[in-house]
Amino acid sequence: MTTSSVSKGCFVFKPSSKKKKTTSLKASDYFHDGKADSQNSESRFETCQSLWQRMKAETERVQEDLNTNILDSLLEFARKSTASFQSKTDDWASRMRASEIPTAALVLGVNVPDHAMTFQSLSALLQESVTPYVVCLQSKECSALKQVLQKVLVQLMGHSVCVEDDDDEEDQSGPRPTGIPSRKMLCSMATLCGWYTAVTQKSASPSPGKKRLSSSKGCGQRPPVVVIFKDLESFTPRVLQEFIVISSQYIQQLPLIFIFGIATSPITIHGMLPHSVSSLLCIQLFQSLSCTQHLATVIDKLVLTTTFPFKLSGKVLQVLISIFLYHDFSVRNFIKGLQLSLLDHFYSQPLSMLCCDKQEARSRAKELSHEDCENIRQLPSFMRYVEKQEPEIQVQLLTCDKRVKDVTQSLLKELHAYHKNYYPVLRCLHALTSSLPKYPLGKQIRELHGICLEKNVWETEEYESAFQLLRMLAKDELVAALRTCTEILKCAKKLGDAVEKLEEFIERFELLDRCSAVVEMGQEGEEELPPQKGLQKKTDLFQLQKSLLERESRRTKKLSKFELLRLAVLDCIDSIVKKHLLPPESQPLHEVFYYSSAGTLRRHLNAAPRTAIQTALNNPYCYLQSEALKSEGGAISNAAPDICIVYKLHLECGRLINLYDWLEAYATVVAAAEGKDPDSAAAAQLDDVKHARFIRAVSELEFLGFIKPTKQKTDHVARLTWGGC
Amino acid sequence: MSSQKQPKEGRVLEVRFVGDEEVLQHIVDKQEGAVLTIVKHCQCQVTKATKCNIELSCVCCECSSKCSMKLNEKTTCLFCTLGVKVGKNAVQTLVSLKTPRKSEPEDSEDEDHEVCNEQDYVEALGTAAQAPNLRSDSDSDFSPSNSEEELEAEEEVLKPAPEPKPASKAPAAGLYKTPAKKTKKAPEPSLVEEYFEAHSSSKVLTSDRTLQKLQTPQLDQETLCRLLDGTSTAFSAELKQLNKEHERLFHKWMLQLQVGFNIVLFGLGSKRTLLEKFRTSMLLGSIHVVINGFFPSITIRSILNSITEDVLEHEGHFRNPLDQLDFIVETLKEDPDLQLFLLIHNIDGQMLRGDKTQQILGQLAAIPNLHLIASIDHINAPLSWDQFKMSQFNWLWYETTTYQPYIEETSYENSLLVKQSGALALSSLTHVMRSLTPNARGIFRLLAEFQLENKDNPSYTGLSFQDFYQRCREAFLVNSDITLRTQLTEFRDHKLIRTKKGADGVEYLIIPIETGTLTDFLEKEDQE
Repeated sequence: MTTSSVSKGCFVFKPSSKKKKTTSLKASDYFHDGKADSQNSESRFETCQSLWQRMKAETERVQEDLNTNILDSLLEFARKSTASFQSKTDDWASRMRASEIPTAALVLGVNVPDHAMTFQSLSALLQESVTPYVVCLQSKECSALKQVLQKVLVQLMGHSVCVEDDDDEEDQSGPRPTGIPSRKMLCSMATLCGWYTAVTQKSASPSPGKKRLSSSKGCGQRPPVVVIFKDLESFTPRVLQEFIVISSQYIQQLPLIFIFGIATSPITIHGMLPHSVSSLLCIQLFQSLSCTQHLATVIDKLVLTTTFPFKLSGKVLQVLISIFLYHDFSVRNFIKGLQLSLLDHFYSQPLSMLCCDKQEARSRAKELSHEDCENIRQLPSFMRYVEKQEPEIQVQLLTCDKRVKDVTQSLLKELHAYHKNYYPVLRCLHALTSSLPKYPLGKQIRELHGICLEKNVWETEEYESAFQLLRMLAKDELVAALRTCTEILKCAKKLGDAVEKLEEFIERFELLDRCSAVVEMGQEGEEELPPQKGLQKKTDLFQLQKSLLERESRRTKKLSKFELLRLAVLDCIDSIVKKHLLPPESQPLHEVFYYSSAGTLRRHLNAAPRTAIQTALNNPYCYLQSEALKSEGGAISNAAPDICIVYKLHLECGRLINLYDWLEAYATVVAAAEGKDPDSAAAAQLDDVKHARFIRAVSELEFLGFIKPTKQKTDHVARLTWGGC
Repeated sequence: MSSQKQPKEGRVLEVRFVGDEEVLQHIVDKQEGAVLTIVKHCQCQVTKATKCNIELSCVCCECSSKCSMKLNEKTTCLFCTLGVKVGKNAVQTLVSLKTPRKSEPEDSEDEDHEVCNEQDYVEALGTAAQAPNLRSDSDSDFSPSNSEEELEAEEEVLKPAPEPKPASKAPAAGLYKTPAKKTKKAPEPSLVEEYFEAHSSSKVLTSDRTLQKLQTPQLDQETLCRLLDGTSTAFSAELKQLNKEHERLFHKWMLQLQVGFNIVLFGLGSKRTLLEKFRTSMLLGSIHVVINGFFPSITIRSILNSITEDVLEHEGHFRNPLDQLDFIVETLKEDPDLQLFLLIHNIDGQMLRGDKTQQILGQLAAIPNLHLIASIDHINAPLSWDQFKMSQFNWLWYETTTYQPYIEETSYENSLLVKQSGALALSSLTHVMRSLTPNARGIFRLLAEFQLENKDNPSYTGLSFQDFYQRCREAFLVNSDITLRTQLTEFRDHKLIRTKKGADGVEYLIIPIETGTLTDFLEKEDQE
């Protein structure tokens, strides 16, 4: 059966049921590179999937945690407004309040794709604890007031139908029950109001089938109706205004609560709604966590942890973060990138089967096949490791599989230990440097991590300047920083001695504090005072500089006890850093855990289709490695594919292109390519094939969007692109 | 040439009367280098020109006449013509600007002022002419020596317009190795400049020749196919190599599709064959739907229908696509074992570009057990997806440059150079006609004939219903206007006619088919 036809554009293919059973493959069957033999692909795929499930669960948990605050306050808001509906206090303020619709403006940030999750958990929470009546509206479903009302009614009453007689509805199956109410009745606020009173009265009267309502505790008999506008900015202002005005008419009978999801800023509300409408609302603002904080938490929990054996190399992390920062601010896309890199790592690296937890990895290492051993031998990091060994051991490693397995086990163990130390030390260094002026080592821990992944951090200038600043830190700041460091390092079992050392330093600082308090009062206090007085007298800059320099030189001459101690503690930290923050590339077998093909990731996540097309047109040699196409300096050979020649010629035109001239130019070029003399009559004459080829090339350019037909002049086309590449 | 430029620039500095702004401009120009040298030339010439008005104007005339002569030369290629025309234009304006001054003498201040104006004007023209001129400049380097001599001689004498000269010279020599040479010169004008150059004047500066000059101005689709079938594709080895590389990705695609990503292919060349190969080698065991996005009358409804009717075997209608979409989402959610593959050739196709359509496709793509693999070709295709849709589609991008001709995609007679033979419309018309009663055929025929009678009347809006009824009655085709209306409804359902409300509120009927096709149709009817 073909898939081209002049009468239809959709073709459905259904394999016969028998065939389906035999040939349907699972995802794991595609896990090899087309080579059938690799038997560990199955286990690799399973490892990958289980790892991903764990990571996904973790991200969900993290996001839930992050959202709890704002969701809690929203719930609180909903409850409070419900309470105000029900309180029948008759004072003026509450009556005023009563005519307004309580509205929560929820500012969520520009990363729209991430919002879905927030709204989902919000509506679930609302339904669980405040009211069963929650409506979610999306702008794309609500282009007119009628549709808004219809959507509200369908969601509410369809829901109520389900609540009342759950079981009956199930039998009738299908999507119909939600469709029925809107079709049968007039969609109006009055209908809704009538329905609401009926429902609330019914539930108030003692009947057995209201278990659902009783669960909505604290709302009494009149639970509010919550309407969530997911993307306020995209709603048509007029529709929104009308809906609000109508709703406010019914607020006495129908306790409504609105929640606006806002991506930009709360100002938009006033941009969309005139004062007469916005005065009907009682708006309270809720600000969600910024997406950068969100990302920081996700990185903290997924990347900077030993929980997951899979790691990203510096470049890959860089790519993911730059996509986040410069393209979309979307945490969801970041996680997608993480998923892709995980998948690609397990797909492309056969040794990734060792990328699992410590125990599992050891047992797998014991059962490596010969091929796997060969693979290990070919790892650059392993080769480097082998070169460092004694000659006899080298020979053994290169010939004996068992030896390789043993070494692999020990190396894997070392790698795990390395990671266990790396992250606490990293956090520790970050805690020390994150508060320094100008943030030499980055404000966020991910920046520091990026540096450490790339090279020896202590060899960088940034590190140098950070330590210079640290050497000038005041005592209490330093001690506080050291305290947090010890707290962080305590988590790592293997860093006990470092913790001890630091604690000792802290003690000595405190000791210093106590004795110096006595000493300094006596001595230094007197010494310090006179120059200060002097300073006040002479106010000119030169003198001030001079005196400051003097003081400085005096200080460097003889270091106080505190300064000596400060140097000592920083040296200690420096040594810890040098010992533990080695870049992963220095570790043998790091390829097992680290995914490093940043290029692949960038190509698949952040592609540039237009650039690709223009490169292909401008420089076909990039794709077709044929000598005939080789040319220098941006020119293309006249043997290039037709479309390239036509494209090149079109680049030299202005806004409009005369087809005839274009055709002639093309014919000349092609004739030249065929080796004909351009002046001869044969070349000048167009043959039909050339004409046809030209037509095809032009239609292709039109199809690609470079030109379009125009009626400004006969036989002309308009050029649509300028520059590029 | 560059050696000649040097002394000239020196002269500019001596002679010019310029304001501060100009000086600044000049300095900036110098730094920018060769790109603007032509503009400077113009300026130089203008300043000189003020001193020798009469001489200049006659030189100009001479020059422009030469230009137009050159224009008629057969070998001019279009970019060169562009250059010539611009040049000519510049010269002509120079002349026109000059003429009033000859008659009345002006004081120096006024003259100064005018010089400035002229400079601006010429500058603008100069920039307009710049891009082509640069090319022609470089071309002239390659041109045979005789033209070079002439050129030099001319440059000595006539300062006003050196640029059109080489431009008109260029084609004869330049065409031989056109593309290679055209791009050889070093500094390209910046993109922004290029854009504004092209849009600065509303005047279109191209030659007036039309395709009518060809023996076969328009080929029809059939001939085109026949002609192209014979051509062999060059670089078949390399193309095969490219294809092989893409085919190696098939397993990866399947894996990524099943894990929950969707795949979009981009890059130059038709990806139809590639996807088709993917389909036949990977998807035969599973349910899949192939959608030709480039098909001119594909709709989102037909896509949804083929999913609901053919895949899910649901009978019944939906009020709108959104309901249908909800149904699909629900059904697929209930049956997670059902894996559906959607293969869309050109998801950026003309008919699928709409925001609503893309929204629906996005929602389809977001279903976990529906896997989407699509291709895009239009350079602006990614613009149709905002962030939200992007996250729904969950694309992984794959560059698959194939260099395959877009045969299928451009075959629907919608391309601009192909004669609209109307074969498609004609065949559908005859098909519908065959199923009609003789009376109904007569009714349609009446309308068609009336329309053909009026084919040369540009203000023809259609046949009004009342007139039509009258005519039908006279021909004994209908006996009441209700019969006619029923018949017309049927026509309308088949898209054979269209009704328009005129300014006077009367309904006008037209057949939305081209005259040629309609004539063919009537002829065919007559034969039967």
